[in-house]
Amino acid sequence: MTRNELRFVCINSIYGIAYTAMNVLFFSQFARLNSATWIVSVSLGVGVWAVTSALRIAAVRRQWMERGRGSFTAALASVVVLGSLATLLLTNLVLRGSTALGWIPQPPRSSLAQSIGYWTNIAIIIGLWVGFWAGWQALARYRHGEIARLRAESERTTLELDALRARLNPHFVFNALNNVRALINEDPARARETVTRLSNILRHALEHSQRDWATLRDEIALVDDYLAVESVHYEGRLRVRRDIADDALDARLPPMALQLLVENAIKHGISRLAGGGELTLSANRGSGRLRLEVGSPGRMAVDPPPHGVGLTYLRARLAQAPVPGTFELVEHDARVLARLELPQ
Amino acid sequence: MNAVRPIRVLIVDDTRLARQELRTLLADIPNVEIIGEADDVPAARDAIDALHPDLVLLDIQMPSGTGFDVLDGLESTPAVVFTTAYDTYAVRAFDANALDYLVKPVEPSRLGEALQRARARLVAAPPAAEPRGLLGAEDQVFLREGERCWFVAVREITRIVVDGNYARVWFRDECALLGRSLATLESRLDPTMFFRANRNTLVNLRMVKAVDLAVHDGYELRLRDGSSVAVSRRQARELRERLAL
Repeated sequence: MTRNELRFVCINSIYGIAYTAMNVLFFSQFARLNSATWIVSVSLGVGVWAVTSALRIAAVRRQWMERGRGSFTAALASVVVLGSLATLLLTNLVLRGSTALGWIPQPPRSSLAQSIGYWTNIAIIIGLWVGFWAGWQALARYRHGEIARLRAESERTTLELDALRARLNPHFVFNALNNVRALINEDPARARETVTRLSNILRHALEHSQRDWATLRDEIALVDDYLAVESVHYEGRLRVRRDIADDALDARLPPMALQLLVENAIKHGISRLAGGGELTLSANRGSGRLRLEVGSPGRMAVDPPPHGVGLTYLRARLAQAPVPGTFELVEHDARVLARLELPQ
Repeated sequence: MNAVRPIRVLIVDDTRLARQELRTLLADIPNVEIIGEADDVPAARDAIDALHPDLVLLDIQMPSGTGFDVLDGLESTPAVVFTTAYDTYAVRAFDANALDYLVKPVEPSRLGEALQRARARLVAAPPAAEPRGLLGAEDQVFLREGERCWFVAVREITRIVVDGNYARVWFRDECALLGRSLATLESRLDPTMFFRANRNTLVNLRMVKAVDLAVHDGYELRLRDGSSVAVSRRQARELRERLAL
């Protein structure tokens, strides 16, 4: 039993007892308190307790809160009307039983108007409870929804932040700046070019990545800049072979996705080899899909599995699309191939 | 004042331009001699063994491993300043007091300060005349346990205990496993400083707080870190002579 359930079980019971106590008080003040009126008071209290408890349990089990507002209100209203009628009938039954057993003298018959009066009285009592209970539930649901909304928002922000960090890998940026420093003495023209390339990458990361889609043409231009800066770092260790189909250049893909794959290929492949290796980059388009493949020498990491920030972001990004794309990492001939397929 | 002996520096980085940049920066600092370069872990280990640099400027990420892999298992560790573009994770693994590191691009003034500190340490602990000789009290060793690493001066070691085929080194309030046998370590340590108390344990005699008599003519050494080590009967006589009891 949850804390909330326990709380309502207590409130239910106290409410039933309080109703009994109120009736006892009224009978003692305005009529006579005898065994008949005691039985009526207790029976009414038990009836109210039973109806409100049943309502609570049924509402939770059958998820009344999930229904529309009209259906929910109708259900509550019928509980009030029928529940109070049932309580009235129960009380009548108990009184007759008690009379038959000779516990109490024959009570006077109630007129129809009196009966409707009692019914209304009980309906008000049950109605008060139902109103309180429904209000409480609505407030709890509202707060719950608010928390869920805030949590979703914070997850989204975290994802965006991760994405930004993945795009602006500080290791890459500071190494590039360090290399430029050395190049300024050694090859000023190349230093100037590298600064331009680095600026393009930073600008792209800050501006374009906020778009939903980019063209392969733009993304290839970004990757060219990226590979140029990395070539300054790795020099002869980074060799690139490209195979980009012309008809694929207008295809759409998430911004920075290709760059992410290239970055991973360098980080997990080229940079781990003293002699470096060949990075392959291919793109083609057919049967409504864009197929990208980035390969580098190396083995699939078994431990830790490839669940970096970048790939997590990419997978989340792919899942968001109306027709989800696919991403896979495969090992083939001592090379790791990252394959991305995107419906166009 | 005598002419100061130049500090002999080895540069280790897998990127040629990064090594070039350090050369350029070091050229402006007086009394520095660059004795070599290395671009990967094995080359760096060979260079340290062959050249005995006073100071190594050591990159953290290299193709076949990390800068820590370079230091792991070296007989005696030279002064080390790590260089990293952005690797707070690796840097954080280190005991902060022992670690000197520079971020790339390196600020000339920070490099100057790092060299100054290395020089100060050199003056305090002049290198052994014979590089292959015994480890002195001020010589430092590199210890690694899981993700954590330490530079430990030999005098800081309390005791060394057999652990399988390897040895567990206790120092300060820490311990770390060293991938060498106790016998190998014993042969490298100064016998006037380290004493083989029993089959399993080497004790730094400078760390002994008290000597208690134990049964069977043995002794019980109480050490400054609160631990106690039993001295076997066979070694008890040796200890008496050593301490002139």
